[in-house]
Amino acid sequence: MATDQLSATFAALADPTRRAILARLAEGEATVNQLAEPFPITVQAVSKHLKVLERAGLVTRGRSAQLRPSRLKGEALREAADWLAGYRRFWEGSFDRLDGHLRQIQKGPAND
Amino acid sequence: MTEPASAQEITISRVFDAPREVVWKAWTEPDQIASWWGPHGWTNPLSKITMNVRPGGAFRIVSISDADGTEMPSQGVYREVVEPERLVFEEPADGSWHEGAVSVVTLSDLGDGRTEVVLQATIHTSDDMRAQAEHGMKGSLDRLAEHLV
Repeated sequence: MATDQLSATFAALADPTRRAILARLAEGEATVNQLAEPFPITVQAVSKHLKVLERAGLVTRGRSAQLRPSRLKGEALREAADWLAGYRRFWEGSFDRLDGHLRQIQKGPAND
Repeated sequence: MTEPASAQEITISRVFDAPREVVWKAWTEPDQIASWWGPHGWTNPLSKITMNVRPGGAFRIVSISDADGTEMPSQGVYREVVEPERLVFEEPADGSWHEGAVSVVTLSDLGDGRTEVVLQATIHTSDDMRAQAEHGMKGSLDRLAEHLV
């Protein structure tokens, strides 16, 4: 499991401005200027947030030099959801093993 | 539409055929944790387990994959220790495979020698996501949440 990637994803999602940017991109691709419009922060600040989102694999940016519209990438978010499923698997598996362990130690008073 | 936050809260419960005191010890004694912590296919060497089971005490369990020797550390801090019924531990947002979670473990005596264990885990980001949804971005977040399903 790519823990570093997931850490980056969750770290990126922890910031409200970045979540707002993602929410905007969920409606369709947008340029930095378009993304900056609803926020009381500079285009440069939005640009920084985009870089974090890009590193986290949540966003891709177009190649065209000037506008470079950003687009949402679903995979990283899906991976975050998978991580949650993994968390559940961790505990389901642990409980299975705990069940076996408890049966084992109660078999007789003198085990080991 | 599923609430974004609901995917971030996990509840797992199981009835164990053992008295509550026995189940409590299985959760709080390192040589017992070693036998069951983690999913199938992982071994927990006793030498790599440290547990200070008291409020504010730290724990660290290193699980090793039987398949390829990969190490998976679980670590955190006990927040509440109420023998034999309630254990709350918090795992930080770094260094752990299942990171950034608060888990509440409740042990209920079913009165017939069995014990129900309920684990409620909350992933930290869920609160942020919900707060965001409540701040009027719900529609957009719902669409975003489609990617989370």
